[in-house]
Amino acid sequence: MSKSASGKGSSGAPTGAGTGAAGGKDAGGRGSKVGTLATLTNHGDPAAAAALVALFPAASRVESYQGDVRVHVAPAQEVELIRRARDQFGYDHFIDRLGADRGPEADPRFDVITLLGNLRTGKRLIVVTTLPEDEPETPTLCAVFRGADWFEREIYDMYGVRFSGHRDCKRILMPDHFPDFPLRKEYPMEGRGEFAAPRRALGGNVDGKDGTVAIPSQPGRPGPPTRDPLDRTGAPRP
Amino acid sequence: MSISRSQNTNRGAGTSLPGTRTLDVEVAEDRHAESMMINMGPQHPSTHGVLRLILELDGEEIKRCEPVIGYLHRGKEKVGETFSLHKFIPYTDRLDYLAPLSNNVAFALACEKLLGIECAPRAQSIRVICHELSRISAHLLGLGAYAMDLGAMTIFLWTFRERETIYSLIERICGARFTTSYTRVGGVERDLPDDFLGKLEAFVKEMPGRVDEYEAMLSRNKIWVKRTQGVGIITKEQALQFGLTGPNLRGSGIDYDVRKAHPYLGYEHYEFEVPIGTEGDCYDRYLCRVMEMRQSVRILEQVLQTIPAGPVLNRDGDGVLKSVLPEKTKVLTNMEALIHQFMVGTTDVHMPVGEVYFSAENPKGELGFYLRGDGQLTPARLRIRGPSFANLQILTELLPGHMIADVMAVLGSIDFVMGECDR
Repeated sequence: MSKSASGKGSSGAPTGAGTGAAGGKDAGGRGSKVGTLATLTNHGDPAAAAALVALFPAASRVESYQGDVRVHVAPAQEVELIRRARDQFGYDHFIDRLGADRGPEADPRFDVITLLGNLRTGKRLIVVTTLPEDEPETPTLCAVFRGADWFEREIYDMYGVRFSGHRDCKRILMPDHFPDFPLRKEYPMEGRGEFAAPRRALGGNVDGKDGTVAIPSQPGRPGPPTRDPLDRTGAPRP
Repeated sequence: MSISRSQNTNRGAGTSLPGTRTLDVEVAEDRHAESMMINMGPQHPSTHGVLRLILELDGEEIKRCEPVIGYLHRGKEKVGETFSLHKFIPYTDRLDYLAPLSNNVAFALACEKLLGIECAPRAQSIRVICHELSRISAHLLGLGAYAMDLGAMTIFLWTFRERETIYSLIERICGARFTTSYTRVGGVERDLPDDFLGKLEAFVKEMPGRVDEYEAMLSRNKIWVKRTQGVGIITKEQALQFGLTGPNLRGSGIDYDVRKAHPYLGYEHYEFEVPIGTEGDCYDRYLCRVMEMRQSVRILEQVLQTIPAGPVLNRDGDGVLKSVLPEKTKVLTNMEALIHQFMVGTTDVHMPVGEVYFSAENPKGELGFYLRGDGQLTPARLRIRGPSFANLQILTELLPGHMIADVMAVLGSIDFVMGECDR
């Protein structure tokens, strides 16, 4: 078994690296027998994507790999395209919204990718919009899918992409005072050393930028009392 | 498949909505009244991990809820960009750490989709066993901890009895109880031991009776019914808007299960039903999980009948030699296999240029991986779509209007795990 495997290895090695780079169309025919790969690569609906893109012809195109259909759209039209996908094409299940970085040399650099599901047909749609490195900003999706809220906060947290119109686009996974955007390619894997946390950030219910929590106080009502948790002087609370 | 609810309640199904619930005593408007901020967690027992909830209360009623997450953030997506696909498998154990085998399976399938590699037929059946065993195990823990949060200690001990059996089985499969790292691209790490299928059969025979026991303790229990029915109602519209998946979505009456919508691992060949709730309250989500356990047992019965013989790693097909590791037993005894292992392990797999998204139906919901390859040795982007992340977000809309004592009922019914939420 292993002998034949290594024998094939010498002959198959030169072509092996390039096998996956082909487009999605040949995916079903790859492999010697029909197995589950065919069931993994039937998630997209190219016809619906083409019809959707036809509504936004100037700034949209369709790509496909392994059966996943990706619609590329300009940032200004992204929300409208997703709204149309939801209302006219039945993609009413919000699955995911994620960021990606193509590296400091690439322009445009950042991707914001949205995954939608169609519960009736079971098909999926991937919407991609690309943003430049300087001041990456795109309109929020919260008006179409309320669940985009946290996902956009995570994209901001990891990539520094801002979402105009977002309710409260602050960090979500990293500490509030973290100085970097860790999923950017130039951020080193081992980090950039320790950083000093503001003392007040260790407490809860602190209003202001350095606190871990800032729930805005309601109009007409006094805000929550603030106090330095490391204050051992016993001074009365404000 | 619709689920039958117990009606042993004086509240009547569907009459009480959380938004309309008011305090019994009318409270005179007090302009000096302050709302109270309560900090729940990150070390609160009912938050099952390190979730922190900041609640604003008016009396005992919740006005606002702000979940604070990120305490368990380990930068897995960053790590994924520096490792080859094989080396990332152990990291998937720690996503939903209550169902590590399920995470392994989902990640292996995502890699196979990206690389275009078939899984060996026997390994497919083994993966189904892994998937369903860990589903039962995760639901057992979810149910036991949920019941304990609401004061029913017995269930917790009973479910851990069965979980012990499952962990013994998992130990037989891959040698580890918890950090399994069992799947490989193109198959699984090793074949099942000879005595495994017999032990699994015994478990499969025993389990339906055990589920009956849990149901006898809870489904018509007056306290349980009163604590969960009509509490934490998630509407269909909310569930779709917030991207809920798994039992939380199905509890709201939406028939969506990845195993049915996009059958993978040959799930289209197994007969099973998807339990669907009617009201969308905590009780429905509880019932969905209990009935899913029964369906998982049903799937396991069929796997036992149909599991084929053969190798557990794909050995023929394009690109296999570059990406599929040899069997470990051969590596230890055979020079060519050792060289093969060394080559795959050191030179790694060159990623194809392309992007795929694959998701599997995990116990908590849809665990998805978005992989982007750019021809390098490591993925350019490895996104983990943890179902608990989306499932937790709905708390901001779900909890206001509830009593503070209902928080435990709602949290337990959402059944989240912070490992995959914070990643």
